[in-house]
Amino acid sequence: MINKVKNILCPLAFGIALIMAWQFGLFHKLLKLKPFQLPVPSEIASTLSANLPKALTDCGVTISGALIGLIIGSLIGFMIAAIATFFPKWGYGGMIVVTALNAVPIVALSPIMNLWFSNGMQQKIGVVTVVCMAAMAINAYSGLNNINLYSIDLMHSVAANNWTIFTKLRLPNSLPHLFTATKINIASSIIAAIISEYFASSTAGLGFGIKDNLRKAEMAMGWSYIVVASLAGVILYCIILLVERDAIKWHASQKEIKH
Amino acid sequence: MSVAISKKEQRIVSFVWVIGIIVVWELASFVLKNVLHDPMAATKLPYLHIIAITFVENWKTLLEAGAVTFSRAAMGFALGATVGILLAIIMSLSKTMERIAFPYLIVSQMIPILGLAPIIFIIVRDMNVSRIVIAAYITFFPVSVNMLSGLKSVEQDKKDLLFSIAANKFEVYRKLMFPSAVSYLFIGLKIAAPMAVTASILVDMLGSKSGIGVKILYSLYSNSTNLFWASVFTSAFMGIISYYMVVFAERYLLPWQNATPGKDGVRA
Repeated sequence: MINKVKNILCPLAFGIALIMAWQFGLFHKLLKLKPFQLPVPSEIASTLSANLPKALTDCGVTISGALIGLIIGSLIGFMIAAIATFFPKWGYGGMIVVTALNAVPIVALSPIMNLWFSNGMQQKIGVVTVVCMAAMAINAYSGLNNINLYSIDLMHSVAANNWTIFTKLRLPNSLPHLFTATKINIASSIIAAIISEYFASSTAGLGFGIKDNLRKAEMAMGWSYIVVASLAGVILYCIILLVERDAIKWHASQKEIKH
Repeated sequence: MSVAISKKEQRIVSFVWVIGIIVVWELASFVLKNVLHDPMAATKLPYLHIIAITFVENWKTLLEAGAVTFSRAAMGFALGATVGILLAIIMSLSKTMERIAFPYLIVSQMIPILGLAPIIFIIVRDMNVSRIVIAAYITFFPVSVNMLSGLKSVEQDKKDLLFSIAANKFEVYRKLMFPSAVSYLFIGLKIAAPMAVTASILVDMLGSKSGIGVKILYSLYSNSTNLFWASVFTSAFMGIISYYMVVFAERYLLPWQNATPGKDGVRA
């Protein structure tokens, strides 16, 4: 119980101290900044509350694009991993290709998607899809294949075919890995969506908002977009954590660790 | 099904994959141009061999631009990795520090830092510095989280043994904790390296004067499509190369380590 209180209080105190230091100009002194270069928290908060409806609309545009891309990308990624599992020899080579694809800088994709899709939303979804695909494929593949050999032997001994092994053994085993991939992808899909808006001809969305407001030197408004984007990310992340807690109660990572 | 695939067979399979991708690409651009008669075919998906020729023709400028971006990424990567490792050590030494810092580590990943690139630029007012800062910021999280889980995974019995022969904390870290955490550290480094390159390219694109990102944007706006695709390929290779540099460093430094440890990295 005391530990739990400490777990909440320590970070909270640190956070408040940090915001205070920012509010009262410690950062400005340290980095030799003028107030207009780095707006203080109270200014950001008041700007945000004044422009809340607009910020939320833009946030909705970006997040919906990010989520659609996340879903499509995860489905494709999982399918790649599943196919690679059914054909181990060729699938392994395919996974090497996917790993290489994962190292390709996303930003480089953004202009390509610009060429392929004329519409800002499609383009955003395209970038996010590619980004999420690789991480999901890699994690799903390791979840589907890092299996206790005895379990496979057991399945073979009861004459289970490959399909039964897949649905009864590999799929449940891969669940924790799928959640890991989704958690990775939540953050990267939002980032990818924002970046693609920097380069697209879109006139709505968080990325557009950040770029546009900075160009107009409206720093506080730019910062409030960042705040909204971060909050959206944290909320989505927490939703995934809750789903994960319910879905894989049996897994070791979910058990209470006693110190 | 952990089928043992021989090294030679692996090479053949990968080779066939690469050939297959090239063939599919060439076919796709042929279909787009001659069957679908897309007027933008040469822009949307030019023939792979034309991109290759453009790359060879412009290799000098492309490599120069790549080197600028890559060196900034490397500096940021080194800085971020150092900070990440130090933070992990501090967190493993003190439970209070871990309580304070760990939630913020997670939250820091939710801040779209690449989205912050323009803001960072305004704060530090120097392109190179902002490139390094952003690459470092992106690097430090995967490094420090993986390092921390490596330090924590050391068995208590082993620590007890060392303490029982009167080893002090420093010696325990040097002789036991670091060697066993190092394979975890490399998982983090492998995740971080391509991300650092991505960050560096993005900062290029947002208004630098040199670097591969500038090449991508310029060639796109000046309608030199082949050069654009060649630049995109260069940046893709930079990401892949950075990943394999870490892989080879791991093989060289930790020869006893199996190439693929069965653990997953933590990225977010």
